Parts: sequence; C-alpha cells; structure tokens
Amino acid sequence: MPRIAGLTDVPGRLSQRGAPRLALVLAALLLLPALTACQPRRPEGVLIVATKSRLDSLDPAAASRVGIMQVLSALGDPLYAISADGRIEPRLATALPRLSADGLKARIPLRPGVLFHDGTPFNAEAMAFSLRRFLAIGTLGFQLSDRVRAVRVSGPLELELELKQPFSPLPRLLSAIFLTPVSPTAYRAYRDKPLADRFVGTGPYQLSFFSPQQQRLSPWPRYWGTRPRNGGLSLVTLSNSTALFGALRSGEVDLLLSSGLEIDHQRALHREAQAGRLREAVGPALEIGFLSLLSDQPPLNSPLLRQAIAHSLDRRTLSQRASLGLRPPLRQLVPPSLPGSLADVWPAYNPQRARQLFRQAGYCSGKRFSLPLTFRSDIPTDRLLALTWQAQLRRDLDDCISLEPTGMESTTAYDQLGKGALVMFFYDWSADYPDAENFLVPLLGCEQSRGNRCLKGNSALSGSFWSAPGLDAQLQQSSQLTGAPRLALLQAIQRRAAAANPYLPVWLTAPVAWARPQLNTPRFDGSGRVLLGDLQRRGARREVQP
Amino acid sequence: MSRRSHLLRYFGARLALAPLMLWLIASLVFLLLRVAPGDPIDALLGPKAPAAARAALRHQLGLDQPLLSQYGHFLSQLLHGDLGLSQNSQEPVLGIIRASLPASLELGVVALVLAAVLGLAVGFSGIARPEGKLDLAGRLFGIGTYALPPFWAAMVVQLVFAVWLGWLPVGGRFPPTLLPPEGSGFYLFDSLRAGDGQQFWGALRHLVLPAATLGVLLSGIFTNALRLNLRRALGSDYVEAARSRGLSETRVVLRHALPNALLPVLTITGITVASLIGGALLIEVTYSWPGIAYRLQEAIAQRDYPLVQGIVVIVAALVVLVTVAVDLLVALLDPRIRF
Repeated sequence: MPRIAGLTDVPGRLSQRGAPRLALVLAALLLLPALTACQPRRPEGVLIVATKSRLDSLDPAAASRVGIMQVLSALGDPLYAISADGRIEPRLATALPRLSADGLKARIPLRPGVLFHDGTPFNAEAMAFSLRRFLAIGTLGFQLSDRVRAVRVSGPLELELELKQPFSPLPRLLSAIFLTPVSPTAYRAYRDKPLADRFVGTGPYQLSFFSPQQQRLSPWPRYWGTRPRNGGLSLVTLSNSTALFGALRSGEVDLLLSSGLEIDHQRALHREAQAGRLREAVGPALEIGFLSLLSDQPPLNSPLLRQAIAHSLDRRTLSQRASLGLRPPLRQLVPPSLPGSLADVWPAYNPQRARQLFRQAGYCSGKRFSLPLTFRSDIPTDRLLALTWQAQLRRDLDDCISLEPTGMESTTAYDQLGKGALVMFFYDWSADYPDAENFLVPLLGCEQSRGNRCLKGNSALSGSFWSAPGLDAQLQQSSQLTGAPRLALLQAIQRRAAAANPYLPVWLTAPVAWARPQLNTPRFDGSGRVLLGDLQRRGARREVQP
Repeated sequence: MSRRSHLLRYFGARLALAPLMLWLIASLVFLLLRVAPGDPIDALLGPKAPAAARAALRHQLGLDQPLLSQYGHFLSQLLHGDLGLSQNSQEPVLGIIRASLPASLELGVVALVLAAVLGLAVGFSGIARPEGKLDLAGRLFGIGTYALPPFWAAMVVQLVFAVWLGWLPVGGRFPPTLLPPEGSGFYLFDSLRAGDGQQFWGALRHLVLPAATLGVLLSGIFTNALRLNLRRALGSDYVEAARSRGLSETRVVLRHALPNALLPVLTITGITVASLIGGALLIEVTYSWPGIAYRLQEAIAQRDYPLVQGIVVIVAALVVLVTVAVDLLVALLDPRIRF
C-alpha cells in the first residue's frame, strides 16, 4: 500500500499540520489541571459525611436499613435514647413510662416546647399520629404491633400505650429511631402512604435537600436541645468500598462510616488512625456474625455433630485471618455490652474434643463428614471466613471433616434459609433496638414446635428450625420480667441454646467512624449511631451558637 | 415505487414491530423475575421478620395475588403508561427512571464522543504508514483498550487520579457542597442554561474520570473498525480507479475511501449507543455514578419487581428506537442498501 502524501512529511519532524494537532493535545492536557484547580468552595462549617447506603426514602415508616437510621437520628428525635454507657435517657419523653398495676398500660409524659421543622408544636396528638401511621404502614411496623394494641392521647402532653402483654424493654423499643414523630400537618396527606423525599420531624437538623445519593441537612434554629456544633451536613453515597476509602484519604469527605467498607480498607484506615493521620471512633458492638445450623434434618439434627462442629471452630484464627483482627471472636448470642448477656457460654475451640465427638458420631476412621457451608457471595468477608475455616479444618481435623463452602447471593440465600434448604449458613444480625430480647427472640422464638423441632416461627425463618420444650414460654416471660429475675432468665435461655448449638456465634462487629484530623473525634450513642451534631472542625469557633 | 417510499415503508414496518417486541420483552422480564430465586419481602424485611408481618407486606405489595392477575395488572398499567410504584420506596417507577436515565445518557454521550474522536484518530493515524510503528501502536491500542476489564481499568484510574493525585473526585455526579441544577437532569446542560459556572465546573469535574475511562475503553472498537475498513477500502477497485485518474492520495483517502470505511463504523456506533442507553454498569458502580444501570443492579438485588420491569421496558424501547434510527441513517447514506 502506498504511503499517503500530505499527512506526514519528513519522519521525526513536525509537519505544518502537525503543529496545530500538538497544540490541541497540549490544550487538552492543560484542561486537566484547570479542572483540578477549580474545586468548588465548601460552604462554611458544612461537613461531608460519606456512606455506602443509598437512601430511597426518608420516611421512618419505610425505614429498615442501617443507613436511613443514621440520617433519621440527625433529623428526628426518639422518645428515649440509649447513652454511650448503655443508660436509657428520656428525649422527647420527660420520664420513663409509668406502668399500670397489670403492666398493660404505659403512660409517657412528653416534653413541652418542642417544635417540628414546619413550626407546628409537638404534643401527644402528634406522637399518637406518628405511632398510628407507623403501625398502619411501617415496614418494621411489626416491632410495634406485636407489642402495642392501641395508642391513645391521655393529655396534651401525655401518651398512653395499651400493650398486648407486659413488656419490660418498652423504653428500649421506643428508643428506635424509626418511631421518631413526624409533623401531622406536613404528613396529613400521607397518613396511609409513605413520603419519600421529605422529612418534617423535631431533630437537631432539618432537611434542605434530598436525592437518593445526596442529602443536605442544616441546623434547625428552633431546636429544643443542644444545637449542632457544625454549620450543617452533606451526606453522600458512594457505591463501593474503594471510592469511600479514597474519598476520605483524598480529603474529599470529612467523615466516613464503616458500613459497607471492606475489611482491608477498614484496616488501612485503622492504621492511618493509629499513625495519627485520622480520627477513629468505635461504637457499641451490636452486630453478631454467626452460623445457622439446620438442626431438624440429617445430618445436623444430631446434637453430637453440632457440638463437634462447635468445638472445631477456631474463632481466633477466623477473626485474625478473615476480619484482620477487627471483629473479635464471640461465643455468645447477646453482645457483651447488653444487660443479660452471658460471656463465653458457647463451646470453645478444642480440636481434640471435636475429634472425640466426630468419632462417637462414626467419623474419622476412614470416613469424613462432608459439611456444606453456604455464605453470602456478595459480602467479601463472608467468603474469606468460609475459606479460612475450610483451611483451618483441613489443618486440624482433615481425617474427620471436610467443609464444602458455596457462595449464594444474599437475597436468594435468605429466601432459601427459611425453606430449610441450607444445611449451614453464615450471616449476621443486628437488632433494631439494643436489647437482649432482640437477639434471642428473632433467633430462638417459635410459634409452633414439636419436640426440638420448630415448625413455624423465627427459629425456622432463621434457618435452624430448632426449639426446645418451654423455650418460647421462657422467651415470652423474659420480656415481662424486670431487673435481676429477667437477666437470670435471659442467661438461662442462652445456656439452653449453647448446649444445643443450633447457632454458632463467630464474631462481633462494631460500627466505626473515621474523621479527617481537622475534626474532633466522632462519638457514638448507645444505639450505634454517630452523634453527627457533635462533629466540629477543631480549633473552629462553635459554628452555630445555641 | 421510489426509494423514498421503500424507505418509509421499511421504517414504518420496523416501528410497527416495536410494540410487539416490547410486549415480549416485558413479559419475559416479568416471568424471569418471578422464576428467579429470592423474595422481595426478604430484601425489604430481612430474613427474620415474623410470618404475619411478611404476609401483611406481601398483601400490601400485591404479591399474594395469582401470577396471572399480577401479569394482567402489570400489562394494564403498562398500556396506560404507568410503570407502577417501586416496592422499595413506593415512589413512581417513571420518576425514578427520569432521575437516573439522564445521568447514564450524559455519561454515555460524552464517553461516546471521546471514544469516537480518540478511536477514529488513532485508527486513521496508522494509515499514513501501514505496518509502521504508528499503525502497530494503533493496533495495540485497539486490542488493548477493547480487552481491558472495565472495572479494573476504572479502579486503577480512580486510584491514580482521584486517590493518589487527588486531582479529580473519587465518585458521584456532583459536588456534595453544591446543590444540583434543576431541569432536565443533564447537569452540564442545566448548569449552562442556569449560567452557574460553579455548578458547571462541579458537574464537569465529576464527569471527567468516568467519561474518560469509558471513552478510552470504547475507543478501541472504533480504532479497529476504522483501521480494517479503511485498509479494505484503500485496496478496492474504485480507489484504484480514483488513483489512476491522477487524484492526490489525500483526496483519494478523504473523499473516496474514508466515507465508505465510515459506514460500518456508523453501524457500530449505533450498537454502542444502544448498549450505552442501558448504562455502563461497571463504570457507574465504580464511580458511584447514579445512572440507570446502577439503579437496575440495585433493583435486581432488592428484587424490586416494578422497578426492574420499568427500567427494562423503557431501555428496550429506547434501544429499539435508536436501532431503527441508525438503520434508517445507514440506508439513507448508503445507496447500495435495498429494502
């Protein structure tokens, strides 16, 4: 093919036409620094907070995920709050509920002088409107409807709840942020349907802009309590862990929440914090990672095998290798920070004992027990855990057991779990409000059982299908008792579960927040949410005066 | 019948088939979603909500109705231009698509322009000296960019330019310190129309990395297509005839070979545009770009049936329109095509 004249001249030298092309390339290269230089100025005092949680709706009635709870905690107030040291503190209530003699009626005095963001007053009518609306359309409405029969107004600033049965953790339930009141005026047309893109509550911030990827919150000037220390918040969603990690490292965001952040990024940020380049805060550990064992069908209907598996689990190694030491090993279902928890009640790692038990079950002498483990394929740490445990079992008990891990997408796995299709499944659970009951009932509750088999109820939905005679009655009773008898009963329930091993707790997860060094160290409340109003640039004057 | 009448008839026939195609696609998506494992209730409530709460929510969302009844309801809504409400947020599906589609289209258009300019320039540059260094580099560029895994390339670009160098934003579509411009949802256009320079620069800065990554990754297709077609055209009889008439080589290339070589490129552009309407999933996820593909991926994960159905139907309709338009354009430009 001939060389085309006119397009090039002498090789190695620029033609007359080449010069403008070079100029074009240089201009394009110069545009990049110009773009990088033209960074928009941040409004004074506004902090940027990044999470992975995209918000489709800001309606407390539609809330079911961690991300929305964090935002709602800035926009709304609960009736009660759990302090960092675990105490219950009245917020929109002024005192703990006054219970009737039979424990079936609870009267809650409400705080006067509180205004919604639309300027209308908060009172018992508004609280009743919000609770009734939540009962009618709330995604988590069952949390309330399972316990509350009716909501009544007993005075301008007094609310009465009629309970289905005595329920001692009521203040803890009412600390759930999805029960935050909304303005009846603003939600008049949304009494029986959700309102996704607005929120009119009583919290320290009011919503000034909403999109699923970005929310802008500005301090509510007529807030009844301590006003935010910053000039507002911009909450942004970044879809993956690398982007979140990079955004904090590059200074693009001021605060990063650990939810959705992969474990190696968490460790890298932890090291940065240790080196003083970031500020790190760890919240109360209220999420447990555990294995659910299908206990009503062979092979795991054998208590001997379940116990052998329990002894074969080297939690320390799993924690070190799969969570890089960030999630401490756990041998209890109720997190240690909650009243009623019982430390290290589940069988400890003991390969010799495990081998004995496998032998008793007929394995180890040329016969290996093949144990399928399903993990959530869309969660990288779960895969690491499965592979690490597989390797650990090969190391310790290769002649007795072989683990067969299989990944399955979360939603599919949850569907299969309740159908009894998964022999063993690793997942996690965090309670909607911090109370021991909220860890035990969802895993062990059973409406209908036969012997040790749960036919219908939470235990079946959780994949173990295990129950024990009288266990559900004990669970019911535990929510009616108070004080030491309640704690003793909660611990007795845990002992029963630990002896049967339908679940094997593996590790404990705490929320973590990292802030740029220019900010003060973040603080968490007792429900595991960052106190966003507490954040402030260090050395700056208090940006919004109370 | 004149060529124009033939063309109109062909165009009409293609458009008339579109509703049938859309009905088939909509029905297939409806069916596949329900056959696929996973339950929207699990996605909304988690695995441990009580059976009564699950049943109540199932009833509220209409998922307890027989499949045929659900299908009838879906088709009836579709015929009335209503795509229903998202199960997750209870927001109208059409509104969600209206918010996400412009993001994908904005990214797609800018990336496509970049890809075409870069790809065609590289493809064309090697023609000056076939099998020379520039031609070889062009060939390597074409194969390399085509073969690069998009998520890996995007992550590397993100790490280098956003995290290490800190030149450009890590992700998102707009600076969190500013409020997005109101209007069409095309932020560059809307901010220009509003005359807000800060908004425009903010939107542009966020667009640079995803558009450049996508553009470079797509450019290889253009490079290869142009190189091969141009070389074929330069070896054809009509080019030899042009040369024998004493025309300059530049004129031969630009007036005779290039237009013919660009026709297949136009078809490829059409296919690329059609694929970009549905969004560039890996780019959108890596750069947290709130486009339609990212939204669809989330909707699938949450088993948000109405949202998945709505997105697929709208995207399919746009793809059909673009494909017909490109076919028409090619037919108009190429007199050899018969109907």
